[in-house]
Amino acid sequence: MITHLKNGKIYCPMMGADGVVQDIFIRDGKIIAKPNTSEKISQTYDLTGKIVMAGAIDMHSHIGGGKVNIARMMLPEFQDSKYQETKRYTEPEAHICTLNCSHNAIPNTSDTGFRYIEMGYTAAFEPAILPINARQAHLEMADTPMIDKGGYAMLGNDDYFLRLLNSHADQKAINDYVAWTLHATQAIGIKVVNPGGISAFKFNQRRLNLDENHRHYQLTPRAILKSLSTAVQQLGIAKPLHVHCNNLGAAGNYQTTLDTIGASEGVAMHLTHIQFHSYGKEGDKKFSSAAAQISEALNKNRHITADVGQILFGQTVTASGDSMMQHLNAKHANPKKSVIMDIECDAGCGVVPFKYRDENYVNALQWAIGLEIFLSVEDPWRIFLTTDHPNGAPFTSYPHLIRLLMDKRFRNEAFAKLNLDAQAMSNLKSLDREYSLYEIAIMTRAGAAKLIGLNDRGRLNAGAAADITIYTDQPDREAMFAKPDFVFKDGELVVKNGIVVKVVWGKTHTAKPAFDIGVEKNLKAYFDRYHTIQLDNFKISNDEIAEDGRGGIIIETPSN
Amino acid sequence: MQIKQTKSLLQATCPACGLLCDDIVLAADEDAINVASVKNCAKTLTFFSQKLTHTSPQIAGKTASLQQAIAHTASLLKASKNPLFSGLSTDVQGFRAIYNLAQKSNGNLLHMNSQSTARNMAVLQSTGWQTTTLTEVKNRADVIVFIGTDVISHNTRFFERFVWLKNIDDAMFTNANARQIIYIGERLNAQAGVAPDGKQPTSISCSNTDLPEILAILRALIAGKMLKAQTIAGIAINDLVAVAEKLKQAKYAVLAWIAKDLDFAHAELTIQSITETVALLNNTDSRAVGISLGGSDGDTAANNASTWLSGYSLNDNNPDHDFMIWVNSFSPEKSPVQTNKPMVVLGNANIQFAQIPDVFIPIATPGLDCGGTLFRVDSAVALPLKQVRENNLPTLKDVVRQIEALL
Repeated sequence: MITHLKNGKIYCPMMGADGVVQDIFIRDGKIIAKPNTSEKISQTYDLTGKIVMAGAIDMHSHIGGGKVNIARMMLPEFQDSKYQETKRYTEPEAHICTLNCSHNAIPNTSDTGFRYIEMGYTAAFEPAILPINARQAHLEMADTPMIDKGGYAMLGNDDYFLRLLNSHADQKAINDYVAWTLHATQAIGIKVVNPGGISAFKFNQRRLNLDENHRHYQLTPRAILKSLSTAVQQLGIAKPLHVHCNNLGAAGNYQTTLDTIGASEGVAMHLTHIQFHSYGKEGDKKFSSAAAQISEALNKNRHITADVGQILFGQTVTASGDSMMQHLNAKHANPKKSVIMDIECDAGCGVVPFKYRDENYVNALQWAIGLEIFLSVEDPWRIFLTTDHPNGAPFTSYPHLIRLLMDKRFRNEAFAKLNLDAQAMSNLKSLDREYSLYEIAIMTRAGAAKLIGLNDRGRLNAGAAADITIYTDQPDREAMFAKPDFVFKDGELVVKNGIVVKVVWGKTHTAKPAFDIGVEKNLKAYFDRYHTIQLDNFKISNDEIAEDGRGGIIIETPSN
Repeated sequence: MQIKQTKSLLQATCPACGLLCDDIVLAADEDAINVASVKNCAKTLTFFSQKLTHTSPQIAGKTASLQQAIAHTASLLKASKNPLFSGLSTDVQGFRAIYNLAQKSNGNLLHMNSQSTARNMAVLQSTGWQTTTLTEVKNRADVIVFIGTDVISHNTRFFERFVWLKNIDDAMFTNANARQIIYIGERLNAQAGVAPDGKQPTSISCSNTDLPEILAILRALIAGKMLKAQTIAGIAINDLVAVAEKLKQAKYAVLAWIAKDLDFAHAELTIQSITETVALLNNTDSRAVGISLGGSDGDTAANNASTWLSGYSLNDNNPDHDFMIWVNSFSPEKSPVQTNKPMVVLGNANIQFAQIPDVFIPIATPGLDCGGTLFRVDSAVALPLKQVRENNLPTLKDVVRQIEALL
């Protein structure tokens, strides 16, 4: 069975295709070269004038796991029934949230999958899997329909690693532990959150700077970053170390971010939700934009990538592994409640609801800082479109964000509505750049696939998986990206006119570099002595992911 | 009945309480499963020594085939306008199945532990909390306060596994033997709180109904409020001042409660006093955490799975219904709630009935007859359950699928 997509305008940065009219053929879930005339075409879609891109990939979105579920659990605000009613959530179009529904900020697993695919996203990656909690993250992702998924395992605040580093273990021992963790947690990358800080908070430290010692282990975040980024590089996985810097959200934290770039010493690093780490402390309010300094550093340091973590106005909830900084942020909670947790000598979490308001000076400037970074970083292959869902805004606001990037007039009109003091502190209006469709395709498809190491996604060449999104070219880019005409997932038509027409279940992408299994000997001794579960139960089997025949594992290997 | 691996010892996970001890070693002996590794936990011993009383389904108390029982259940469900799925003593896989069935049949969900879960949820949804997990308690806690509970009635091995450890240096950051134990509550069995060197715990004895007031005072003391009263509910204020001082001096104070044991009107406010005391301590120069213990019948798993599947936690509203399906995999001693409506029981093979249900289908118990997944009481850890014996009992998921196929 061959499907023929005819005459579409192809935007595929992996192929260098910038709006070229070209046909695509699909067989058995894959894109194939033009078949022989003898082969039967079973279906043809005339896409004349339509825009064709690979399915979009969200490289950083909190879609599953403990803190996400705590966020759902603690926000029943807009539940309209006192009973435990079931609302046909598993039917794709039966439950569309209003802006006031708490599901909008932190959707259930069905809504997550349906809303993503309706926007033409075919994969999303959970960026903060606590290894001890990985089973829960995968259970939730298994219940997320339509899209592929995967995650980054958090290390660097776990006592096993900190003890290794404290005892001057050699790099090979660190590498083996990092690789073992990737296998055990079925992850595709490694993340570090507030390096050392989550652990330090358990020892009653309240802030930790890059060169400040962890009180107990006498280790600095710089040393932790170096050890982990080196391990990730030496293991040869595609995804560079995913770094949530120290001092999240604090005025003046841009210096920590610049110092962290310096601490990378040329080893690849990805700095996540960099908007939250680009704050100066100039001006009367001691809070200012350092987007220019951060963008300049990103432009200069070609081994560094970043995603923005744009904030957009409205109700949301912040769910982070950063218990230390979220404990400080809890005073800004809206509604006024928060959860802070220490977790299993492994990590922690902090969940704080937020309402970003355009009349608020800090929030308005945060909005502008994110956009300043988007527009000032020159290379779209190294900057990624995220809202750090749900922390800056729900992922459902991506079409709006894309319009802000592509449409200067629209952006300036929005800017003019902001808090006036914030307007005075931003150079956003002087930035004339408008993103092109090709650049959006880089940011949300090709670049993301390349960064994570997804060998057959984010591209439309023969051999790629047929995850394809087709839009009508509209001047209103928000309307265009909100409602694609067609979405194909692994070759099947799953969305038509923005509505789900078939429910499918994606796969889980993982990385499994080789390592010395001897690492388990010390780990077992450590678990038996200090932990409260068996080492074997820490590990997640392939069968657990493939349960029900719905899911499955894809092991990505470095392509070169 | 056969143990799955007769040749070797089998390591298993025990779902009998919220601790999910996964260090259980089982051995086969003729037709029984013996727990080789644990002697002191009656819950674990009882769970793994279960026999198989019922292996066939019943319709109105009479033996029926699985097909007949499923067909009858499906017809009752089809006739129902608002079915209630209650009990819900199952694992993640079982809950997912029941949840989907409820979606298809316009049903409501009500867990057998819904009242105690709702007490905690009320606090989480009102102010939130600052909590910890079992491995942190084991490695860090230097002061532990048990409020309104002895814990061991629910979690027998709590002290053995997390407080008084086999070796003194089995806790990474504290001297396990030197932990200070404090009880506040009504006639609590404080025996487990005696340190290995014989040091007695501090006990503040009060009735449960006085707990709200005493916890409010403790919170006020931590907040630095000056009190004029000398006693409160028969307790000398100075005793509470001493507790407050210990909490402030602690490196890692743990305040533990069990929602099921705080069984009085507006107990959620008492839990909130505990969690707000923790929050106050964390705003001064020390660390403190709360932990909710207990747990049974997959309540933590059901609440988590409900939350990610629907976006909402389970609640304790008991809605009108015209038909009830009672699910009880883990606790044969727990009877279905009384109902005058048609009732189907999908349950443990040893379940006893006060009221003969319209249909009874014995199902596999996760962790015994089939594998599965449960959440530990601290919610941070989900663990696989193993099948340890072989029989023909269908899983809840299988039964539900067959029912769905007939709808």
